[in-house]
Amino acid sequence: MAHHHVTSADIAINGDHLEPSKVSKVKTIAAIIAAIGTVVSLYLLFFGPEKIQGTYAYSWLFAFYFFLTLSIGGCFWTLLHNVSNSGWGTSVRRTYENLGSTYPWMFLFGLPLFCPHVQHFLYEWMNVHRGAHGGDVKEHLHHVNHLLLNKHWFMNIPFWYGRVAFYFIGLSLVIIGLRKLSTDQDTDPNPGTKRLFRARFHSTYTLIIFALTITFTGFDFMMGLDYTWFSTMWGVYLFAGAALNSMAVIVIVCTWLKSQGHLKHVTGPEHFHIMGKLMLAFTIFWAYVSFSQFFLIWYAGITEETRYFLIRNTGNWNIAMIALVFGHFVVPFVVLLQAWLKRNPKTLAIVAVYTLCMHVLDHYLISIPERGVSLGNINRAVFGDIQVSIPGAFWGDIFAFVTIGSAFLFFLLRAIGQHSLYPCRDPRILESANHSN
Amino acid sequence: MSTTRKRVYGYLAEFKNASQLYKAAEKVRDAGFKKWDCYSPYPIHGLDGAMGMKRSILPWFVFFGGMTGTATAFSLAYSTQVIIYPTIVQAKPTNIFTIPAYFPIMFELTVLFSGFTVLFGLLALIQLPRLNHPLFASKQFHRATDDGFFIAIEARDPQFSPNQTRDLLAEIGGKNIELVEEED
Repeated sequence: MAHHHVTSADIAINGDHLEPSKVSKVKTIAAIIAAIGTVVSLYLLFFGPEKIQGTYAYSWLFAFYFFLTLSIGGCFWTLLHNVSNSGWGTSVRRTYENLGSTYPWMFLFGLPLFCPHVQHFLYEWMNVHRGAHGGDVKEHLHHVNHLLLNKHWFMNIPFWYGRVAFYFIGLSLVIIGLRKLSTDQDTDPNPGTKRLFRARFHSTYTLIIFALTITFTGFDFMMGLDYTWFSTMWGVYLFAGAALNSMAVIVIVCTWLKSQGHLKHVTGPEHFHIMGKLMLAFTIFWAYVSFSQFFLIWYAGITEETRYFLIRNTGNWNIAMIALVFGHFVVPFVVLLQAWLKRNPKTLAIVAVYTLCMHVLDHYLISIPERGVSLGNINRAVFGDIQVSIPGAFWGDIFAFVTIGSAFLFFLLRAIGQHSLYPCRDPRILESANHSN
Repeated sequence: MSTTRKRVYGYLAEFKNASQLYKAAEKVRDAGFKKWDCYSPYPIHGLDGAMGMKRSILPWFVFFGGMTGTATAFSLAYSTQVIIYPTIVQAKPTNIFTIPAYFPIMFELTVLFSGFTVLFGLLALIQLPRLNHPLFASKQFHRATDDGFFIAIEARDPQFSPNQTRDLLAEIGGKNIELVEEED
């Protein structure tokens, strides 16, 4: 073999820890930006001028859900690693867990969206429900909106809050439990296979919790923006983007750690090659699912389904949608076909950054085009007529993105610094380190 | 008296197991041989690296094969639906903006052409099918499909020499070294 065969002598017995001073500055800056941004955002959402309250609610939702997909993706890779009994991924598994462990924190940034004051601008179906003013909601819906009456079994406010509580508690417990199982092994004087098997067992049924979370957060936070529209591909579409881009984050984190001299013997070109292949696979999967969704709606041309794409192909949104086809699929597909590129951490990290930019565009197109339409419907006097986009509102999008993005960076770095950077006493760490594909 | 002429194909040497074969392959590679090959009953992980084999050119064939498929499908769909026989289906336009309807065809023909290029490109590169191989003249070679691990160094390699190559194979652990000759 050309490269050095890794033996237990190469594995740091107490793990490979990140020097806290290396990131303390970045962490502090990120925390300050996130704290100031959150305070300003709360002010804008609850006490700002009504026009800003309305437009900024969409900005916050966009930024919140964007970073939530990355955290959920981290949970997904952890679960998939355990349940597929994967040998190659042991040396990068800690990064999956660290990314996944940001999930409870990122979910907390959704708290403003649980207040009726903010929901008023986002979810019109709730406004119709609340129009009952404490009376019988079904009776009210029967008179004012029959479509919502038919959807009442799923789209009702108590159930909505119940589901949101489930997303938060369910997946948080899953990732906290799995991460603890994994990190406890690092300090165990007699590390065995017990935790490996337990993680594998508990990852089987909790994968269902993950699937429900990515699907129905998508339904409740995103599809619910327009209660008349529905797509059964929606959950899969969001999952494809989440899996692809959380892998991109993992690649960036691993490349950075390697450049700092960590993960030295345990990861190499082979691991980046596999992560690159997974990115390629999910680029294709994303394109396949999003095209299927578009194609079926376009071909059938049924009024209640075409709304989503009509809004997103009106005005300049159309250019962005076409840009997404090339930028999110054609370019990364052709680029990621090359093996040498996937085996080099630096080039793969550049592609990962690019993929994340496309993920921003994708999620911008998911959440923002609805803004001009919904707000015009809700209050014409304040927001003006229904329009393609509300001028100047994108500054709020950038601000919300930077705020939640800084918080994401802070919690990710915090998680990375807490434990060894790879599971140093995992029974399969040597198998993973010596993997060749 | 038989007048059959024989031509030397090369040396065939047997090795004890996969790990011996792997180590021997590295040494043959380092000795600078180019025309040689390993034979084993099952695939050995990383043997291509030990043999110093270059990456196959096949992916490039497949890439351009697939591109040809995409282009063929697009031309086929576009020429029939837009140029030759425009048909309005479900109020969809009969111009380039019907392109989503071509995507399934473009996808399928990309896969089909790529698949064909993989199959026929591979067969061409490994020169199959062929009726015979000089190594079949060896009595022991049939064990390569059962429990034998072999290295064969061909006589057409510029480094080949009747004595030194035999010594090299013996030195790196080769057993039952045999000069394989094919009938001309």
